[in-house]
Amino acid sequence: MFKYALQRTAYMILVLFIITLICFVLIRMLPLPALGPEDPHAQVIEMRREAMGYNEPYLVQFWIFLKNIFTKWDWGLSEKLYIGQDVWQIFLNKLPATMVVNLYSIIWTIPIGIALGVFAALKKNTWIDYTISTLTMVVISVPSFVYAFLVQYIFCFKLRWFPFVMKGGTDWFSWDMFVSMVPAILSLSFGVIAGFTRTTRAELTEVLTSEFMLLARTKGLTKAQATVRHALRNCFVVVVPGIFGEFIGILGGSLIIEGIFAIPGVGGLTLNAINGLDYNIFMLSTVFYTAIGLAAGLVVDISYGFIDPRIRVGSKK
Amino acid sequence: MKKTLALLLAVVMLLGVLAGCGPQGNTESTGGSESTNPPDGTQGTGEATEAPTTEATLGTIVGVAGEYTYRTSVSTMPANWNPHVYQTSDDAVPLDYITDSLYTLVFNDELHPAADASKAPYESYTIVPSMAADFPVDVTEAVKAEHPEFGIPENATSMRAWQVTLRDDLKWEDGTPIVAQDFVDSLERVLRPELLNYRAADNYTGSYVLVNAKEYSLQGKLDITDNGIELIPIEEMTKNEEGQYTTADGKLVYIGLTVGLDWCNGNSLQAYVEAYGDQYFGLEHWDELLAMADDQGLVPCTDDTLALLATVTTTVEAWGETEDDLLNYLVIANFRYEDNYSFDNVGLFATDDHTLTFVFKNPLDGFYLMIYGMSTSYLVKTDLYDSLLKETETAKGTVWSSTYNTSIETSPSYGPYKISQFQTDKSMHFVKNENWQGWNNDSYYYVDPEDGQTYQMYQTTDIDIQYIKESETRKQMFLAGQLLSYGMQSTDFDQYRNSSRYYASPAETIFFLIVNGNGAMLDERETHADFDATTTDVQMQQILAFRQALAISVPREEMAATVSPQRSGGYAMLGNTYIYDPDTVAYYRETDEAKQVLCDFYSIDVADYNGDLDAAVDAITGYDPETAAELFQQAYEEGLEKGYITDNDGDGKSDQTVTMIYAMSSEINDFLRKTINFLNESINKSAAGSGLEGKIEIVPSSPVGNNWPEELRAGTMDTELAGWSGSVVDPFHMADTWTNPDDAYWTWWNPSAIDMTLTIDGEEITMSVRDWALCLNSTDMTIGGKTYNFGYNMTSPENRLKILAAIEGQVLGAYVALPIMADGSGALLSHQVDYIVEDYVPMMGRGGIAYMKYNYDDSEWFDYVASQGGILNYA
Repeated sequence: MFKYALQRTAYMILVLFIITLICFVLIRMLPLPALGPEDPHAQVIEMRREAMGYNEPYLVQFWIFLKNIFTKWDWGLSEKLYIGQDVWQIFLNKLPATMVVNLYSIIWTIPIGIALGVFAALKKNTWIDYTISTLTMVVISVPSFVYAFLVQYIFCFKLRWFPFVMKGGTDWFSWDMFVSMVPAILSLSFGVIAGFTRTTRAELTEVLTSEFMLLARTKGLTKAQATVRHALRNCFVVVVPGIFGEFIGILGGSLIIEGIFAIPGVGGLTLNAINGLDYNIFMLSTVFYTAIGLAAGLVVDISYGFIDPRIRVGSKK
Repeated sequence: MKKTLALLLAVVMLLGVLAGCGPQGNTESTGGSESTNPPDGTQGTGEATEAPTTEATLGTIVGVAGEYTYRTSVSTMPANWNPHVYQTSDDAVPLDYITDSLYTLVFNDELHPAADASKAPYESYTIVPSMAADFPVDVTEAVKAEHPEFGIPENATSMRAWQVTLRDDLKWEDGTPIVAQDFVDSLERVLRPELLNYRAADNYTGSYVLVNAKEYSLQGKLDITDNGIELIPIEEMTKNEEGQYTTADGKLVYIGLTVGLDWCNGNSLQAYVEAYGDQYFGLEHWDELLAMADDQGLVPCTDDTLALLATVTTTVEAWGETEDDLLNYLVIANFRYEDNYSFDNVGLFATDDHTLTFVFKNPLDGFYLMIYGMSTSYLVKTDLYDSLLKETETAKGTVWSSTYNTSIETSPSYGPYKISQFQTDKSMHFVKNENWQGWNNDSYYYVDPEDGQTYQMYQTTDIDIQYIKESETRKQMFLAGQLLSYGMQSTDFDQYRNSSRYYASPAETIFFLIVNGNGAMLDERETHADFDATTTDVQMQQILAFRQALAISVPREEMAATVSPQRSGGYAMLGNTYIYDPDTVAYYRETDEAKQVLCDFYSIDVADYNGDLDAAVDAITGYDPETAAELFQQAYEEGLEKGYITDNDGDGKSDQTVTMIYAMSSEINDFLRKTINFLNESINKSAAGSGLEGKIEIVPSSPVGNNWPEELRAGTMDTELAGWSGSVVDPFHMADTWTNPDDAYWTWWNPSAIDMTLTIDGEEITMSVRDWALCLNSTDMTIGGKTYNFGYNMTSPENRLKILAAIEGQVLGAYVALPIMADGSGALLSHQVDYIVEDYVPMMGRGGIAYMKYNYDDSEWFDYVASQGGILNYA
């Protein structure tokens, strides 16, 4: 298992390197913003680009990029959005907001999603199951930003229960901050809850009809005991990897939600970097998302062995 | 363990439910903007005039105080407002609050009368000293004698050197005094060559050039001219001993690889090669060529390097260039700026703590001198600035950057407000800067036009800026009383257009409909038609009567109301906001010359209005379907005669539909769809009864990206609703734009070939329209051995006005572009505040935050909003 984890980690680093290289070259191949022929500032910009090494071959640029990261943890300077500021510092400043919103969302969505899935599975083919399943399909079909506008209109404007946008400041775990995040958390959560509900219901429904469940009941366990001790654990083989997957999904989904609720996070930063052609920020965001995705995949793979002892990943037998 | 986990999950779920049910109450989402009483414990009292909470500070002049927060939103949060490097107006927003200037503009009132005494209060503006203690003194003669390093010409006796005395109470927000040397040291930093500051060029380009600023900033660099503009053929160049090409006057010629070129739309050749690769370029020798480039991206132009360049640009057919085009990639080195140039030669120096002297390359006076020439926006707190400079090693050496003005700690204020809170991409809060000189400056008082009392400006105590990306969110927050204004979207106009709180603001841009009169290209398109020429025609557009008919076929106000309600009808090349003489605040469009141009263009006979020009202009609608139908019929007959169209079935109608291709930069959007539909409907309605009835159609092209201007210039596409805007106090520059082949969209109209005669100061002068435009913009023109220059300060504003009006008349009369819409915006203003004036005044707007008057303090405002049920009605 340990050897397998090491091997997968090495592969992960290799894949990260290759993706980073491809992204770097593709990003540097993008045309730089055009300069007006009569713009008096054009000469300075040209000189600055020259000094920044834009006129070197791509591989030389990539080598410098890697060297700066490994020797100085220097991801470069922002060239458009935050002119002259350290890209890594900007990114670090924005990471907490994204992480906290997503953390709250995950904490909220997992139990509700699983609970609804379990409930629907236990009430299979009843009106409760039909209602939950239908709502799940409806909710899953609508993008999260649609909920964002609805949540904002109903809860913030009409009912005035919450602020329109997230509170300023860095007191991430204060009550006021939490309340101001609720609209964003809700908007992110609907789709995720529906996803967990659907997965849990599907898996649990199948597991509940397994022969070992019949055995569990015949040896005297109640339905609840059999469900919790045997059925749920089996169905978690699929659900738990889903949690990691959803975490990545939520990070992606929050690109738009962050804009709507004015959350100063990395999602908005990435979008702005793309729109503003700020390549160093975009590069760091790309590496971040790639690394998170690869790490999540690794954790998922390894987690199988812990969730279900029958699975021995990397074992020769 | 399991029980613990279950309990934990239950708690989390309960927490969520509680959060969902918890009332938000009166809490604002912005820091420091909760409903509070003023800090001195008094209750807010509504009308500010009735509730002064501080004593008068200057005689009987009453100061007002309280807690009045200006809450606003931005869709792009400032990130770097370093005055030396910021590039966008979004980034410059904080500078409006934390900086000051030597002189500033205020509304004209009893305290500050306008230069033109006929102007009613608040109809105009006047210049007052701010950081300066008094108005500048012309010291040209003295500086010329004592400072030969500035190179003031012997024949220059005035308007080159100006001395300013600074107030003695200038301070940074921490109380550190600001002295004259700080301005000089700050200028040195913005110009410092190794820092490559974006704003350095502001001090040495255009009309406001500090002597030797460019020489200091660009020391050691080559000064180059783009041969794509000069167009000197390679055959006319000679070679020096090293084999490098030189111009006839001995200037060295280089190949510009990484410099922006006119031929490449401002991009460098390298940018094109890297973007398109071997799709368009031969890459075999590209790296070899690139390796030869110096630190300015220039390669000496020799036969060998030209041959290498040719392999790049001429070997791939798709790029479509031959060796004849190589000259467009060349640049001419005029000279090399002296290395190790001393800053002592730059035209700004301090003689003592309170005396600054500016030395300009060109003569400056009045408005331009004080508002633009003496801009000291480069002022920085030098000790802090230096501590924040950071070196970064790159592939090509060191790049300097700075975090100055990127956070609270790095943003020292010397303006009316200081930053008290900032969170990147989130929010920004300002409070009053108690150390600002303006609190003790007579310039910052005004007489209220309603009650006649005198007040100090800047009643606003706090400014809160929130980053709100979505307009719908901004609207909801405005209706909930959380923002003081809301910039209306097109969809809001039906509901709020008639609101008493709606304020329309005109903008400088006039959108005109470009029309294609490029006969040669239209003929060629018809000859090589990839369309069915029996049913489609493009040639008719070159008939003048057709374009004249188009000009009066569109009901402009109706069109603006339909497609873009915040805008209004456009009737001329220059809108109503342009000022031709900023010293007297004289509006171009209000002059007889400008009015006559409009009457001529729309065929309005002033005699029909008893010689009353104003009445004649008021009668212009730009819409005359009867005359349009006659002109369309005339065009139809001319088209038949010339064989552009046919009438084979003899029904008196064209067999072909005249098709105008609308150059689309991207996929069609709602605005353009409405625009094209409206134009098609109104044009065909005007053509009713003519041979072109129902036979004219504007068709959107496939998206052509940023190439749309080139398509129009080449005549391969026909039309586009486009516009330019320039400085509101420099309408003359627009004359250059209209007639400049590099800028104008109508290259088929050649203003250099059209002579125009004007009588200037009793002398009859004839030159081409293009030359008049150049001459109007400070270019010397020699005619019959006599040199003319009608640039700023070279002749009277009245003469310049006459020339400008004549050029506008020529452009309109060529029917190259038909004015359709005037740009503008509309916003709702909260009941919490009022503007000092209802009408928009160019350069002043409605007074901005300096003149904003509050009807409620923050406490009262929140009470008021609550009493209205939390949602305000502005309809």
